[in-house]
Amino acid sequence: MARRLDRSRIRWSVVAAVLLTAALWMQTRDWSGAAFAQQANKTSERRPLVLDRAPARNIADPNPVFRALVIDAEHGEVFMANDKESAGTSVLVYPTQFQPTNRIMEPLRRVAGPKTDLGMVCGLALSVEHRELYSVSGETGTLNVFPLDARGNVGPGRRLIGVMPRASAGVFLDVKNDELFITTEHVNRISVYPRTFKQDQEPLRYIQGPATGLADPHGIYVDSGTNEIFVSNHGNWHKTETGEGEVRGPDSLTRTSLGYTTPGRALPLAPSTGKFLPASITVHSRTASGDRAPVRTIQGPHTLLNLPDGLYRDPVSGEIIVANSGDDSVLFFDKDASGDTAPVRVLKGPATKFKGPAGVSIDAKRNELWVASWDSHMAGVFPRTANGNVAPLRVIRTAAENAPMASMGRIGAVAYDPKRKEILAPN
Amino acid sequence: MSQPRISVYASLANGNAVPTRVIQGAKTLQARTSHYIAVDAVHDELAVPNPFAQAILFFRGGAKGNEAPIRIIQGPKTMLNATDNVAVDPVHREVFTASFPNDSILVFRGDASGDVEPIRILHGPNTKLDRPIRVEVDPVNNVMAVVTDHAILVFNRTDSGDAAPKWIISGSKTGVGTRFGTRDVKLFPEGKKLIAGASIGGRSVERTEEEGRRGGQRFIGVWKYGDNGDVAPWAILNVTPITKIPGTRLALNSEGGDLMVGGDGQVSVYHLPEIFQRRD
Repeated sequence: MARRLDRSRIRWSVVAAVLLTAALWMQTRDWSGAAFAQQANKTSERRPLVLDRAPARNIADPNPVFRALVIDAEHGEVFMANDKESAGTSVLVYPTQFQPTNRIMEPLRRVAGPKTDLGMVCGLALSVEHRELYSVSGETGTLNVFPLDARGNVGPGRRLIGVMPRASAGVFLDVKNDELFITTEHVNRISVYPRTFKQDQEPLRYIQGPATGLADPHGIYVDSGTNEIFVSNHGNWHKTETGEGEVRGPDSLTRTSLGYTTPGRALPLAPSTGKFLPASITVHSRTASGDRAPVRTIQGPHTLLNLPDGLYRDPVSGEIIVANSGDDSVLFFDKDASGDTAPVRVLKGPATKFKGPAGVSIDAKRNELWVASWDSHMAGVFPRTANGNVAPLRVIRTAAENAPMASMGRIGAVAYDPKRKEILAPN
Repeated sequence: MSQPRISVYASLANGNAVPTRVIQGAKTLQARTSHYIAVDAVHDELAVPNPFAQAILFFRGGAKGNEAPIRIIQGPKTMLNATDNVAVDPVHREVFTASFPNDSILVFRGDASGDVEPIRILHGPNTKLDRPIRVEVDPVNNVMAVVTDHAILVFNRTDSGDAAPKWIISGSKTGVGTRFGTRDVKLFPEGKKLIAGASIGGRSVERTEEEGRRGGQRFIGVWKYGDNGDVAPWAILNVTPITKIPGTRLALNSEGGDLMVGGDGQVSVYHLPEIFQRRD
């Protein structure tokens, strides 16, 4: 009897298992209950098939990077812009003086979090006198102001969101004239605002138009002594109108640089104007306005310019210093360089540990050159007059030296190559 | 980021992976703001837009390092303007781009090079093209989908002039449109499915707890060909603490049953074979 009962139990268990398996299998097919309803073609009553599940894989670099840097020499602090979204964009503050180490260094403090509205923080400037830090976002174009000692998830004290075009890259504070200069990639423009700007401030003036030579501008430096503006250009050019990119709702000149959701005017289909120019450093009058030609341009094969980014001017020699991200170097040009001129010195080579350098600055108080190297998660400190294949005096790292290079920035797309079974992601 | 580049990873890459190759350098002529890559697996090419120089660049499928494009569409006749997207039809050898500044779709020969005119232009009030940012082509079923400000429009592949869309996916149940964060659309021809996401709260329908999504959050939706009007997706991947959808940029590996989602500086791969069933 007991044996018969056991057999009966086993038989029913098998049946139950088969039914359970079948039910589970059916639920994994698209003819589940929800799908049956959908296939009735009553789209108005459709209940979506919910596919919520964890990703099987995730490709991401969790380590911050250094894009732009600005130094408060008086207080011995360096501020670095981290625009890596997978690491949470932030401003990281480190001491300028520290014992050399190859270990990952913790910042003194960081500004990060949703309240900060940093976006893709591409450029930084600061005022020691007014104890202010200025950040521009390559995503929204906003200019935010924080107290110099800001820490954590804090909102900006002031924001400039008025008519400023999106996709700004560089910012520089001209202390003497109390003006902020901002470059915008999308519309080949330099905008000038008073440091004390209000939220909806109109620019004091701007340089923009086909004569300016601006072509995908990035870094910017203003010398109030010589009244010159230095701008690095990647060379991607198209004709822009003066005022293009300003966010003025339906009255905007074009939709370019307004953001996808701002109406703007639809342009008629017209001949394209785009072309590729050699990379350059354009030098403009500090007080120039509108479609004004540069006073000189450094451009040509002898310059070695290759995707130039952050700019600075040596306070002693007047040399123009540029982070040359395309060939892992820092170039130094004579203060009066013009045309197809070779740099007077080049900091480059494996000892420098440069990979995609994006930012440069000088600590005049300590006679040191700082270089932000994006791809290698590193900032290096060199003697101000360093030349050739020279090792940094000390480095700040956010990842181990043998960590994978930072390769993905802001991902504008993702693609799949079925032939090579590869995933492609552009910055 | 430091410089324009395309990073390439093995399909099984995970974590802080090393790219199998990187396409970067001045010779590549890429711009830093690159919003698309189209893979032409038949002709083994990559198409990449450069919005600032108003160009479409074509690379070898296996390009790496500082490698120049094999050809470029650029010049006054092209009428390209702020070109930040491109789609490839390898069957009919055509290249499409949605022109945001002037509410149009431009179509070029797939092997075009230099200063060439579009072979077709879709443009006019009947098209309902309103700030189009992406176009995707299905050469099997002969349709193309376009992401616009507040809708995904589906046209016949060869439509030109002032043709009206055949289907419009738009409305609060759909949640799609650029203004709601839709940045991409993908088509799965074998299953006749359309896939798109959004992130800013376009869908106003109340979701059940079971469906695991609060209104106004990021999601990826799957619609069927023929869906027209304010139609809820056929299937949905909601953002949750488990799914952690990083964005709304999409790629499909239909053979592997994988949906790739890019954004927030990362790529997540979801195994969703349900989407890729080949029967209707």
